[in-house]
Amino acid sequence: MGKAILEVRDLTTKYITRFKEDVYAVDHVSFTVDEGRTLGIAGESGCGKSTLALSLMGYYFSPLYYTGGQILVDGRDITNMSPDEVRKNVLGTEVAYIPQAAMNALNPTAKIIRFIEDVIHAHDLKMSKKDIYDLARERFEILNLPSDVLQKHAVELSGGMKQRTVIAISTILSPKVLIADEPSSALDVSSQKLVIKMMYDLMRMGYIKSMIFITHELPLLYNVTDNIMVMYAGQIVESGTAKQMVFDPVHPYSKGLMNSIIVPEEGTRDVKLTAIPGTPPNLKNPPQGCRFAERCKYAQHLCHTSFVTMRRFGEVDPGLLGGEDEGDAVAERNRAYRCIVPIHELKAAYAEEDAARRRDKEAVSYE
Amino acid sequence: MKNTLRQITQSPKFMIGFCLILVLILTTLIYPLFSPGSPLEMIGLGTFFRPGTYVSVYDSVTTDKRYTINLTDAAEKRVASKLASEDKEVMKTWLLEFGIAEEEIDLEDTEALLDLWFNTYDESIRFDNMTTAVRKHVQRTDAKLDGLLEHQDIIVADSAADGSLVEGSLIKGNEYINVAEIANVRVLPLGTDNFGRDMLKEMISALGVSLMIGLIAGAIATFIGLALGLLSGYLGGVVDDIIMFVTNLFTVIPSFVLLILISFSIGQSDRGATTVAIVIGLTSWVWTTRSVRAQVTSLRNRDHVNLSKLSGHSLIRILVTDILPYIASYVIMAFILQICSGILAEAQLSMLGLGPKTTSVPTLGLMMFWAMAYTAHLNGAWWAYFPLVILIACISFSLNLMNTGLDQVFNPQLRD
Amino acid sequence: MKGYKKYFGKKALWFFITLVCAVILNFILPRLMPGDPVAAITARIAGGMTSATAAQQIYQEYAEKFGTNQPMIVQFFTYIKNLLRGDLGLSFTQYPRPVSDILKSSVIWTVCLQLPAILTGWIIGNVLGALAAYIRKGFDKVLLPLSLLISGLPAFGLAIILLVVFGVNLKIAPISGGYAQNLIPSFTPTFIKSVIGHYWLPFFSIVIIAIGGQAIGMRSMSIYELNSDYVKYSRFLGIKDRKIVGYVFRNAMLPQITGLALSIGTMIGGALVAEVIFNYPGLGSTILRGITGSDYPMISGSTLIITLMVLAASFIIDIVYGFIDPRVKAAQIE
Repeated sequence: MGKAILEVRDLTTKYITRFKEDVYAVDHVSFTVDEGRTLGIAGESGCGKSTLALSLMGYYFSPLYYTGGQILVDGRDITNMSPDEVRKNVLGTEVAYIPQAAMNALNPTAKIIRFIEDVIHAHDLKMSKKDIYDLARERFEILNLPSDVLQKHAVELSGGMKQRTVIAISTILSPKVLIADEPSSALDVSSQKLVIKMMYDLMRMGYIKSMIFITHELPLLYNVTDNIMVMYAGQIVESGTAKQMVFDPVHPYSKGLMNSIIVPEEGTRDVKLTAIPGTPPNLKNPPQGCRFAERCKYAQHLCHTSFVTMRRFGEVDPGLLGGEDEGDAVAERNRAYRCIVPIHELKAAYAEEDAARRRDKEAVSYE
Repeated sequence: MKNTLRQITQSPKFMIGFCLILVLILTTLIYPLFSPGSPLEMIGLGTFFRPGTYVSVYDSVTTDKRYTINLTDAAEKRVASKLASEDKEVMKTWLLEFGIAEEEIDLEDTEALLDLWFNTYDESIRFDNMTTAVRKHVQRTDAKLDGLLEHQDIIVADSAADGSLVEGSLIKGNEYINVAEIANVRVLPLGTDNFGRDMLKEMISALGVSLMIGLIAGAIATFIGLALGLLSGYLGGVVDDIIMFVTNLFTVIPSFVLLILISFSIGQSDRGATTVAIVIGLTSWVWTTRSVRAQVTSLRNRDHVNLSKLSGHSLIRILVTDILPYIASYVIMAFILQICSGILAEAQLSMLGLGPKTTSVPTLGLMMFWAMAYTAHLNGAWWAYFPLVILIACISFSLNLMNTGLDQVFNPQLRD
Repeated sequence: MKGYKKYFGKKALWFFITLVCAVILNFILPRLMPGDPVAAITARIAGGMTSATAAQQIYQEYAEKFGTNQPMIVQFFTYIKNLLRGDLGLSFTQYPRPVSDILKSSVIWTVCLQLPAILTGWIIGNVLGALAAYIRKGFDKVLLPLSLLISGLPAFGLAIILLVVFGVNLKIAPISGGYAQNLIPSFTPTFIKSVIGHYWLPFFSIVIIAIGGQAIGMRSMSIYELNSDYVKYSRFLGIKDRKIVGYVFRNAMLPQITGLALSIGTMIGGALVAEVIFNYPGLGSTILRGITGSDYPMISGSTLIITLMVLAASFIIDIVYGFIDPRVKAAQIE
């Protein structure tokens, strides 16, 4: 296992609305990403995953504000730096970002190379125009972009080209953490795969050290990330390896999320899809107890009243630990989730439901 | 819908603008009830009467009930109001010649000036460099001052049966009458215009007419713009090309030029307020067409529109039920702006002498035109033009404010 | 380069078509109106005459001069032929001075007054609007209502207020004309000094109005741009705020350039009336004189000249725009 590149402890950020209300969109979030690893963050729209991406940059401006917690990049805390220090020494060089809408992420009236020059100059790096051009061309080649793109304006590029250009620009300063917010939602499936493969290539070549993917498309996460976190109403409700999260989710919300999408794997195809009823809570006044309790069919009386913390899998019910080899066992112990319903109750209920849903599906297909 | 209305009413910008306009409209509706009579009636014989209360001299003199009030500064005030500024200048010339320092002579302070004058003036002193004409003027002024300060009573003479004059009544210097007891008092809060019309009354009437012109012009322009924009945006193809060609054409050809040409061709006698409004409406639909078209183009391929198309609904029905509700906010905003520009266009047109014919109704532009034609601005008759400018600015400010308010409701990014 | 060429070609063609349409409109609009323009014109001239035959004679004379006794199409070609020779007819009020001669002198005044005024107003307005969008808060709270108030003020209203305050009350500016009345236009220092003295009041009355309108537009444009994705992305790449404001300003400014091309016609209308207030010897006053004197050739000539100037201005702006906005080139290639 590599060393921790990004360590987030109890990070809390809030939006202040125009009516001066506080909305805590990221609420005491903690996690770690190791070198050479990728983390996926999943959740419904509005769960705070995009805000988490913005919060991880350590660079806050209205209406988003930092309220507490630490972000350690390669062991260095960036939350106690001045904004200008963050701008100069963190953004782009330590943590880089690929925005949700890559289509409009480039200034439409500037040549790509001018924009790259601006990015490099913003970090007070002494590089000649020639060096910048060479660096850009080298990176563009890795991403399969012809070098004449550098002399073009963003409006002259096709969608796929823009996407790759954005990746090239985001990684031009070899950041340690690359955060991609819905990197492929606007692309077709084959371009999606291509883009993600290119990002992996960049990581393999050592230009980036770790990646965070933020998306609502779980299948994508399953295929490309090592670990997955599920977010709900500003909090992380469960985290674990990709495989565990997809095939053996524990938290009722994670389970619901998995049931509502198709994972292209054997054994999941023959189940009926179900939607999670209800809507996420209003974060202006989050519920006192478990935030998912309102929509949870396993909710008990205690769920609505008592504050639920994140708990490690191994600490709660060691008897249930499974896994064939030692690696799996470690991973299993490290899984964490935020629910007070006993695991064995949940697992029993899930098994029963899964069987019922398979039967439903069969019944449907015979008709 | 309900939510949007609530948001609109909560927008302070919109509400301020709306209330201002409402006050203006109510004024034009209510004021005539309190002050009947034609606004174009020429009550004053002469141009540009100052704002103020006008008291009938005849009725003042013939009022029987008189009150004796002793005011200590009555004489000074009388002098101050009767002493022309040229008289004061002459006094100053003499005083300077006499050797009084210039800073000691304050022409504004009549009391001090009179004190200074009576203490220093001596008819016998002759300055060599003072012309006879000026010296005579000084003497006349001094005599006038004496006359003014003397407490002379005024005799009102009646003619007797034989044609000779007999003393009718005597008006003493310290006699007063109560304005409420005089038969004929006319308050002209904004004086009169060059024709001797009551400015306030005429202005309020003109405000109504101008708002009407704006409304008609705005309605016509919005209707044409909306119809063309809907057709052009929804149908696309050749219809779009043709409509956009015409629209672009009239965007670059200044509408003001068209207005001048058309209005001039119609001729003075046929230009009523409604005609002018229609002409303005017919020349100002271009912007509405453009923005409606842009909106409709983006709506054209929405699912609900396609569904309606597949269901075989008629063109009119699709436009009215599936597209119009989505662009209604833009159309309302465009309408408000059109009203505003219609009022301004009328004013500008009238300033060039191409407004509605002057004999039937007043408009803000026409009043402005006549005030300028009689050079009210150079004669210090501020009441003849300044209230008009303020009123026009007020209308357009409140309409623009309403629009900005709506804009911020419909485009949340613009909110502060 | 191919994209640009295509763009220029399109624009030039469009300019030509618009020109032709404008000329046709200028010709046809007065003739479409009910009533006989020649009769209206001669009625005024013949008003003082007692003899009906003399009036009839004048009518015939003018009808021939205008060619109203000929078919419309023949009239049109005569009109075009004369136009190409620069012949706009003879003025009625300043008979027998040719209209082109009168217009020549007033066009210079109008161009020299309005061109710098509109450009200055446009630039200041855009800077203020961008600042309001960027700073928001207090500055914006003051600037927006103020701009609304000013842009709502009719151009002539502001002209009168400036005239009364600075000309009549403070007496620091002349109240009328383009130069002192006792001078004859020439390139002497006294004359130029007088022209400058008469220049600044009308100039500022147009500038201030233009500022108001432009500032509002630029503010909205800049706010949209500031919220756009590329601003957020640039920020997260560590680019300095000052630089990003530069991007935003440029991108918001570009549509304002086309906006200027489209609104220049509207602006001119107000500015012409401002000329009338100051009795400035430009086209505005010429039109007013033409209208009060029912001088038909003069009005027709003035409106044609104004249209030509506006068309030329928007054409030039469009061409300049094509050079500075790469999006134009991209749009042509698609």
